[in-house]
Amino acid sequence: MQEEKTNDRRNFLKTIALGSAAVAGVGAGMFSAPGDRSLAIGVPRARAEGTRYKTAFIQWQPHTVPAAWSKGIEEVLGPQQVIDYELLDGQNKVEVQVSLVETLISQGAAVIFLQPIDSVALAPSIAKAKRAGISVITLNIDATEPHASHVEMNHYYGAMDIAKAMGDAMGGKGKVAILNAPPGIIIRDQRTNGFVDGLKKHHPDIQVVADQVADWDRKKAQDVLNTILAANPDLGGVYGVNDSMALGAVDVAKEKGLLGKIAIFGNDGETAALESIEAGELTGTQYTDVYQQGRLAAPAATVLATGGVEAGAFAQQSRLLMPYVIATKANVGSIQPSQRW
Amino acid sequence: MASFFRISAIVNMRSASAALALFFAATIVFFCVSAPRFATASTVENLMSGFSFVAILAMGQAFPILVRGIDLSIGAIVGLVGMIVFDLSLIGQLPGYLILPLALLAGALAGAVNGVLVVHLRLQPFIATLATLAAYRGLTYAISGRQLVPGLTTTPIRDPWLTGIETYFDVGGWLGLSRLVNMPWVPLSFVIMLAVFVVLQVLLTSTRFGRDIYATGGNHEAARLAGIRVNNVIIAAYALAGLCAAIAALIMVARFTTATEALGAGMELTAIAAAVIGGVSLAGGVGAMFGPALGAFLLGAILIGLTLQGVPQFVQQIITGAILLAAVGYDRLLSVRRQRRLTAASTAAT
Repeated sequence: MQEEKTNDRRNFLKTIALGSAAVAGVGAGMFSAPGDRSLAIGVPRARAEGTRYKTAFIQWQPHTVPAAWSKGIEEVLGPQQVIDYELLDGQNKVEVQVSLVETLISQGAAVIFLQPIDSVALAPSIAKAKRAGISVITLNIDATEPHASHVEMNHYYGAMDIAKAMGDAMGGKGKVAILNAPPGIIIRDQRTNGFVDGLKKHHPDIQVVADQVADWDRKKAQDVLNTILAANPDLGGVYGVNDSMALGAVDVAKEKGLLGKIAIFGNDGETAALESIEAGELTGTQYTDVYQQGRLAAPAATVLATGGVEAGAFAQQSRLLMPYVIATKANVGSIQPSQRW
Repeated sequence: MASFFRISAIVNMRSASAALALFFAATIVFFCVSAPRFATASTVENLMSGFSFVAILAMGQAFPILVRGIDLSIGAIVGLVGMIVFDLSLIGQLPGYLILPLALLAGALAGAVNGVLVVHLRLQPFIATLATLAAYRGLTYAISGRQLVPGLTTTPIRDPWLTGIETYFDVGGWLGLSRLVNMPWVPLSFVIMLAVFVVLQVLLTSTRFGRDIYATGGNHEAARLAGIRVNNVIIAAYALAGLCAAIAALIMVARFTTATEALGAGMELTAIAAAVIGGVSLAGGVGAMFGPALGAFLLGAILIGLTLQGVPQFVQQIITGAILLAAVGYDRLLSVRRQRRLTAASTAAT
């Protein structure tokens, strides 16, 4: 058993060394193997050998959130000169993400950051990466296959707090509508269930009269909310499951002169939403420092890549829930420009 | 006259296939030289496992195009069949050996509906299949077990009959080649792709149905006057496209151990691109199975190669577009030449 473990470890080191050597070593004219067992975990050894570690982040599709994660990751990995980092686009397609993971495996990547489109569909690929000794760190959407680490926004409890703040703004009674994401995505369920449970807990007299899909999209949210308002002219609150949809609701409220009469909340905390709050239009949003989320995921990658920690060595996957604030006009000024994404 | 047309079509097809094969070989050589770690067993394995289902879709797509149609709904059929498999397995708890034939039947039926719309309602294929694209995708959401039963979103499919499709064979080891060189393991999906290729190619070249397909694509009216039941041929062509989409769906579900509502979205365009790159003429009546299959792997090799080179993905899309344009241009060139020869022959005859 012990022997097997040592072998695994040695294979892992070999994969890492040869993998990155083939990528960068040829150019640098160096092709040395590391002296394997004397290494202490956590000590970067590659610098001496001239090898580089490849890391990549496979995003879902281009959006403000993964762009900010990527920037946070780059800030940390960039100055560490032994690590190469690149951002890859999953094009909102499971098969593209799976193909990219496989390409990274054959490239001998050391660590893969992944924002999986689906928790189950990417699980076989994560298992494959683990077998090849590659650590996977997921962002926001967890996978059913245990892996090195998972860093996510606090969707469920954040949404509960949004419900509380919205109910407070509405005086504890009235009707609300949810502008929702297309079904089939875990964070949609977490952000919706958290909101509904939060209302039940803090403001049981508030009624959810509509829950409709607006595709994460500002324009679509305008159309959907117009329809909802036609059926419910006395609507007191709107919850957009992301900021884009909440801002679409703000557009409608402005146009119909309902600004200030309807409490509108978003989720994520992107710059446009914070500015809208400062302008007195959007009531509030759940703000997460997404740069920070990327910065927190990155050091784990450094340790996993350069410390020789085996991908299969995790009995339990680490899980980090990001801190958040419910940003409203009262506190939005405390969010610094450098924290805005 | 008719036989002359057949011969010249075959000659053109041959030269188109040869050109594609050459281009494919050149692409592979280019990446082997320029892309780090492209010339490895694992890249070959990734290409086979990641693009066999695209090749199957492209071969299926070739049939509607051969009869002067197009099927925009095959991506949606992939999604629909995937969700049917998901529901039958996780909610219905049906055994996989029953689900497999049901899935294939569902795909063929969905395809046949396209054919019926085209033939009996006389809809433009583009419009008919655009409508079913929306309808099938909507139906996929409507029957989604992920929403009907909470908790299934995170439940993988474990039925060995279904997941068994994602199996790899150590062919190199059996042949003893692995002792000489690091050989890729061959995924079952690639073997399925080869089987589909052989069956469809034989169907096209050696059966009456195949001749009817070419005749119908060449000229509907002439084919009808020649006694071919054109309507049935067209419906069968769309049904075959649906059947191929179902096979692709089964491979994808096995690969992902689940089906999402968006499964296969946009894949109809990749399949059409692969078919056109593979020399299937959008004017109908010209094309075979070799081209579309190789076209799919060409697109795959380019995607993998450029990713290994670190080329941004939007550049990859531009390059794919350029290749598609070149292929259509080449097809046009061949057809202009064909037309000229035809005119020359007919003037000579009079």
